[in-house]
Amino acid sequence: MNVVTDPAKLLLERMLRLLRWRVWVQEKLQPTEWQITLLWAGFAGFLGALSSLVFQGLAEGAHQLLTGSNAGVVESMKQLPWWAVLALPALGGLIAGFVLMLGKHLTKGQSSTDYMEAIVIGSGRVPIRASLVKSAAALFSIGSGGSIGREGPMVQLAAVMASFIGRWRQFTPPQLRLMVACGASAGIASAYNAPIAGSFFVAEIILGTIAMESLGPLAVSAVVAAMTVRVLTSEAQLYKVPEFRLSSPLEMPAYIALGVIAGVLAPWFLRSLKRAEKIFIATKLPLVARMTLGGLIVGALAIQVPEVCGNGYSVVVTILKGHVLWTTLLLFVACKWLATASSFGSGAPGGVFTPSLFMGAGAGFLFGQAVHTIWPGGAVDPRAFALVGMGAFLSAVSHAPVMAVIMLFEMTLSYDIILPLMLCSVVAYYTAKGLEGRSLYSEVLKKKAAEAPSDAAFGSGQVAELMKAKPPTLSRHARFADIARMFLATRVNNLYVTDAQGCFLGAVSLHDIKPYLGEPELAELVIANDILREDFPRVGPESTVSDALGRFLNFEAERLPVVESSGKLIGSLSKGDLLLALVEMRKKPLTA
Amino acid sequence: MNSPIELISSPDAVVIDLRVNSGEEAIRALHQRLRAATPDVRDAGQFMKDLMERSALSTVCISEDVAMPHARTTAVSRIVLAVARTAVPVAFDAEHSAVRLIFLIGTPKAAVTDYLQAVAALSRMLKNSVTRAALLAAPNEIEFRAVLARAHKR
Repeated sequence: MNVVTDPAKLLLERMLRLLRWRVWVQEKLQPTEWQITLLWAGFAGFLGALSSLVFQGLAEGAHQLLTGSNAGVVESMKQLPWWAVLALPALGGLIAGFVLMLGKHLTKGQSSTDYMEAIVIGSGRVPIRASLVKSAAALFSIGSGGSIGREGPMVQLAAVMASFIGRWRQFTPPQLRLMVACGASAGIASAYNAPIAGSFFVAEIILGTIAMESLGPLAVSAVVAAMTVRVLTSEAQLYKVPEFRLSSPLEMPAYIALGVIAGVLAPWFLRSLKRAEKIFIATKLPLVARMTLGGLIVGALAIQVPEVCGNGYSVVVTILKGHVLWTTLLLFVACKWLATASSFGSGAPGGVFTPSLFMGAGAGFLFGQAVHTIWPGGAVDPRAFALVGMGAFLSAVSHAPVMAVIMLFEMTLSYDIILPLMLCSVVAYYTAKGLEGRSLYSEVLKKKAAEAPSDAAFGSGQVAELMKAKPPTLSRHARFADIARMFLATRVNNLYVTDAQGCFLGAVSLHDIKPYLGEPELAELVIANDILREDFPRVGPESTVSDALGRFLNFEAERLPVVESSGKLIGSLSKGDLLLALVEMRKKPLTA
Repeated sequence: MNSPIELISSPDAVVIDLRVNSGEEAIRALHQRLRAATPDVRDAGQFMKDLMERSALSTVCISEDVAMPHARTTAVSRIVLAVARTAVPVAFDAEHSAVRLIFLIGTPKAAVTDYLQAVAALSRMLKNSVTRAALLAAPNEIEFRAVLARAHKR
């Protein structure tokens, strides 16, 4: 009797041992759903970095295909004959327009939701096909020298990857939104090699909160992304800058003035982009023709000033080296402004983040140079002003000074600029905010929020929107062995017991059976019916978030069953999702 | 009679050489004894119904010769236990045709852990072949109770 030889019994004993071990690990480490989310955030970071690198490679490929040169955009434009310079961006616009048009058929029924909308007003579902089409079009507008950033599509792609993971793992909407945010954070981290700024960009601009619930996963995702890029490529920092020193406190007034200037220019810059968009739409030309026209304008400007092409990165580097005359730079800035307005206005897919950096660097350098000419002590090195100007402009455009300061710091890895940078960015932010209540991003979001159907995402904040459908269930006949097996497979602490009609009967708690996992004799006798707790708390699908929270406060559980009034079990609600939803609701009035 | 362990050393009712022909008869007989032995069986009819329902769901035997019919029920106000040794082997179900020892347990609805504790303690006790032999050999109720009490002092 005491010697067990039955193979089924041996298997059972082994399984119970495993379950005991699992309970032990769980008690020692207590991996909650948050920690598991961190793992997925890391995976999203890895995929985001890969997709960014692939996009970058493809954009360079498209560029090489169109220009026959593998140098930078500005360099290859300089080598081409004038007619080619004129025609190329137009050709790029034409192809991109066609891709978008063809894509429209492919993606019928899919909205063109971008990652920010998916996080703020959507369900966290970034449409995959629509995003791929947009990115494919962006390859051509970018490869042909359009004055637009490649980083926007990179971030979008990374967000798509994350959304894909979340859908595959069947995350609930709040978790899915967090996942997409992680993707965006990874995209920014890998596009700019700036993991801190990546996490703060998403937290500050998109989520509107720096709560640890969301910042943790964002940081993990950003770090993994930056690591991946660093391992796979040799880039360390984006802008190699000479060492800057705050030469004397006397420079501070000039920096404050620069902050005001950036704060005034930035809203103008944004408004001009919107204006350009309206003008292009007013022409009533089809999209393909509009984009060709936009490209043509960029090409025309590029004949004289090839520096307008691309995202402006190489010119920023030249400015930071101080190798430009101020008259030339003035021309650059004016033409770049026009070119960006043409590309963006004509509907070329791409970002305006990097062009903003260009505008800031240009304005900063020009201002620094002017002060330097009049009073050398007030602005010792105009290049430092270019750097600080970038941060200030970014801060004013995005309304996210924390992110701007961190990003500049990460891109340059120069600690010396921190003091003027912080001051200048904050001044620019307040100036811009005083002039215009909207930022680069709030504008887009507001428009989309107005278009979105009223039931969008967490409109009513009901449990039904937060729950995970189809929880694992047991029948009341389930043997101890089946219960143990299910606990091992599902990693939950309570298994729900339902009858044949799917009605909720109660829950079997791992906590209850934990002390008896060492006694296989019980396995013969005990069934779910014997140990199910009928008084297990439950929530209704129509309960509000605060109701549900009340249930959790009175009961020690990570999840509660969601039960319809008919008694049917339809899902389970996790405490983590509930807290995420609360964090989201706190900032909801700002975005709605 | 607080903990399930104390209950096992001193059950509410003990029947030696119970003469029955089937599992159901055994359950009915022990139910009767328990009802007579303690006022904590508040609703005898309900208790019987719950016991039968549970036996119908799945086996109540833990080995060839031991059965633990049981119900979690609103009919008892504390955990109750009646123990029987049958005069001849009794068939409970197809797989358990020679039951000699029967432990009938009733637990209040919420007392999930009490039930598990009792069942675990009983099966631990019955694993010991000396205790089993002593229970089967005990000449009278007093000696039978003494074996149960001893088994738990160990």
